[in-house]
Parts: sequence; structure tokens; C-alpha cells
Amino acid sequence: MNASLDSLAPGATIGRSQRVLGWILLLLTPAFAWVVVGAPTDAVQGTMQKILYVHPPLAYGAYLGFVVTAIGGALFLWRGEERHDQLAIAGAEVGTVFCSLMLITGPIWARGAWGPGNWWVWDARLTLTLLLWFVYLAYLLLRSFTEGEERTARFASIYGILGVVLIPLNYWIIDLVGGNAQHPENIQSGSLGEGMGLPFLVGNLTLFFAFAYLLVLRWRVGVLRAEGERLDYENETTR
Amino acid sequence: MNASVAWALLLKDLRTEWRSRDRLVAMIVFSFLVIVVFQFAWPPMDSKEMLRFAPGVLWVTYVFAAIIGLGRTFAMELENDAMTALALAPGTRGWIFLGKATATWILITTVQAMTAFVFTLFFRVDLWQGIAGSALIVALANVSICSVGTLLSAMSVRSRFRDVLLPVLLIPTLIPVLTAAVRGSTATFAGEAPPFDALQLLIVIGGVYSIICFLLFDYVLDE
Repeated sequence: MNASLDSLAPGATIGRSQRVLGWILLLLTPAFAWVVVGAPTDAVQGTMQKILYVHPPLAYGAYLGFVVTAIGGALFLWRGEERHDQLAIAGAEVGTVFCSLMLITGPIWARGAWGPGNWWVWDARLTLTLLLWFVYLAYLLLRSFTEGEERTARFASIYGILGVVLIPLNYWIIDLVGGNAQHPENIQSGSLGEGMGLPFLVGNLTLFFAFAYLLVLRWRVGVLRAEGERLDYENETTR
Repeated sequence: MNASVAWALLLKDLRTEWRSRDRLVAMIVFSFLVIVVFQFAWPPMDSKEMLRFAPGVLWVTYVFAAIIGLGRTFAMELENDAMTALALAPGTRGWIFLGKATATWILITTVQAMTAFVFTLFFRVDLWQGIAGSALIVALANVSICSVGTLLSAMSVRSRFRDVLLPVLLIPTLIPVLTAAVRGSTATFAGEAPPFDALQLLIVIGGVYSIICFLLFDYVLDE
């Protein structure tokens, strides 16, 4: 009995942080909507330009997902605790959602800014983001095709670590081949138009907290599910 | 002690391959077939135009053939439960990885040399100029392909749909390698020295992948 209460403790901590993150997100979302509606309309692109407040922040979520997956995987390989594997799954799944949304909002912006037919360009950064999306999919496929829970966790951890190593290599490739016309190197101070800085900042904060909230929520579901399965198993064997 | 595990596995794999020649023949036939398919896929070109396509075509063929070879690397260890015996070998398991990866490196480099030769004959593309540079690029790129390939092959071999899973896992990790290799080969096929930025990238990726795979291989085999 004591043992099962102890192992529920991490789930409880996760639950508390989930609630805190949820409240922050609940307060930020209307503020985000407010500043985006109030932001000045771009002279050239019109309302379409407001995708700016969503598209780059989604990218941070996509990359953070990778980092969380790798950290969770490395911790699992080191300590062998199920909750770390659950953290890795949460990172991969939430990261996949953010990466997918980024790949959807990008073409919508491109089509709006450059006219019909411009859904996609093979720009280096775009191509490599697509590649990261494939790594996420491969990670999730690996999880569903491998048999045995412990083995699945081990293999997925290994692939998660390989995936995060790929990010700096990909950035090196972007430098090597160039052709990065569609995406700025980084946001330099003053590169945003007047009145666009605040909504961009609030957008980054909101989507960061959305990422953190979803991550912790998914983590908690995973930890509780694993705990439930363990208790089920104990009941079966002691009956 | 540890290095002797790698050496024993390397010799064992090469000897098994030499006696059966299964993987070698399958990879060579497959490579030739892919090259022939490309011939049907593209419009008529003179040999100068062909030279522009050659690096891409050859590297795609190389990677596809390597996937076939890598898929078999651990499949043969499944018979008689040899995987368990491998897991029982003394010392760090990274050395098992090193032996396996080196054997695969020798195998796929051989296949690639033969494929390039046939490509030269059939498409009248002169790959002889800059052959030393081309060989260097192939040798370096194969280090990455074999290290990640061996690690992922050991994982995918014990999953369902292993034939699909290996390419799905492997190809995204090889894109930086492919980009650098195609860039390097484009220069060497034109008779120039291999560009330093491509070589640098291949060396760094090869080193990083080898070290990471050596360390992570410890967790691939079941206890």
C-alpha cells in the first residue's frame, strides 16, 4: 500500500504544476487575442501577416518537444524509471502537434503573401523542419511497432537522443547549402514593424505556456495510466 | 579483450558473407536495377547533363542499397538466438557494434564501387577524374551510414514491420550526410578537389554518429 502511494507522488506533483500552468494559460489566451486584434495591419500583406504571431512561436514548441524527448530518453536509459519514458512520449506527441501546426500555418502564410500556387518552397529551413517532422513520426512509429514495454521505452529513448543530435547538424546544412530566402536568420531588434513587438512577445509567451501545459497534461496521463496498469497487474497476480 | 570482440565479429561477418554472398549479390542486383529504373525515369540527356544528375542518382542508389544490406545485418543473428549470445559477449557492447558496423562498411563500399563502375559504363559519364576525392567522400559518408544504420538495424530487427521501419527510421537521420556527400561528389565528378566544407561536415557527422552509436548500443541488446 505504501509503495503504491509513494509511486503516485510524482503524479501528484505533476498534477499541481499542470493546474498552475493551466491558470497562466487561461489568463494569457484572452490577452493574446486582444493584442493580436489590436496590432497594426501590415501595409503590404494585410491581415494575413498576423500569422507572424503564431507561426514562429510554434517552431519553438516543436524544437522544445525534441529536447524534452531526448532528456526524458536519456534519463530513462540512466535511471530506468517509467515516468521519464512517459515524459519522452509527452515531448514527442506535443512536439508533433506543434511541428504539424507550424507546417500548416507556414504554407497558408506563403500562399497569402506570394499569391496562388506558392504553398510550398524547398527553402532549406522549411525542408529541414519537414525532416524533423518525419523524425517525430518515425519515433512514434517505432513506439507502436516495437513489442514489449521496457524494450519500446529503451529503443524510443535511443531514437529520441539521435533525433536531437540531428538538429544542430541540420542547421549546419542550412548554412552550407544556403537558399534561406524565406526565413530570416533571427529576429533582430527593430526588424518588426512598430506596434508588432508586444503581440509577438505575448504570442511567444502564450504558445510556450500552451506547450508546457499540454506537455505536463500528457505526462500526467501517461504516469497515471502506467500506475493504473501496474495496480491492475498486482490485483490480477494477488487474486 | 574488448577490441578482440569487435575483430572476431568483423571476421565472422565477412566470412559468412563470403561463403553465402547473399547480401552482396542482393545489394548489387538491386543497385543495378535502381540505376536502370532511373534511365526510364529521366528525359534523354547528353553526358554533360548526365554529370549534373550523377551525384544525386548515385547517392540515392547507394542509400537504398545500404538499407537492404543493413536490414540483414542483425536478421542473421536471429537464427538460433545468436542475439542472446552476442549480448553475453564479454566487455562493452559498443565493440559488438563496432565489429558489425565495420563489416557492413566493407560490404557496402564494395557494392558502391561496383555500382559506380557500372554507372560509368552505361551512362558514359566519366567518373575517373577526381576518383581519389570521390573515394574519400564515399568512405567518410559510409562511416555515418554504417554507424546509424547498424544501431537502427539492431532495433528494427526485433519489431513488427521491420522492413518498413528501418528506412523510416534511417533516412531522416541520413539527410545531412546525403546533402554533404552529394555536394562533395558534384565537385569531384567535375574533376575538382572535394570542397572542404563538405569534408568537414562528413568528418564531424561520422565522428558524432560513431561515438553516440557506440555508447547507445549498450542499451539495444536485451538483458
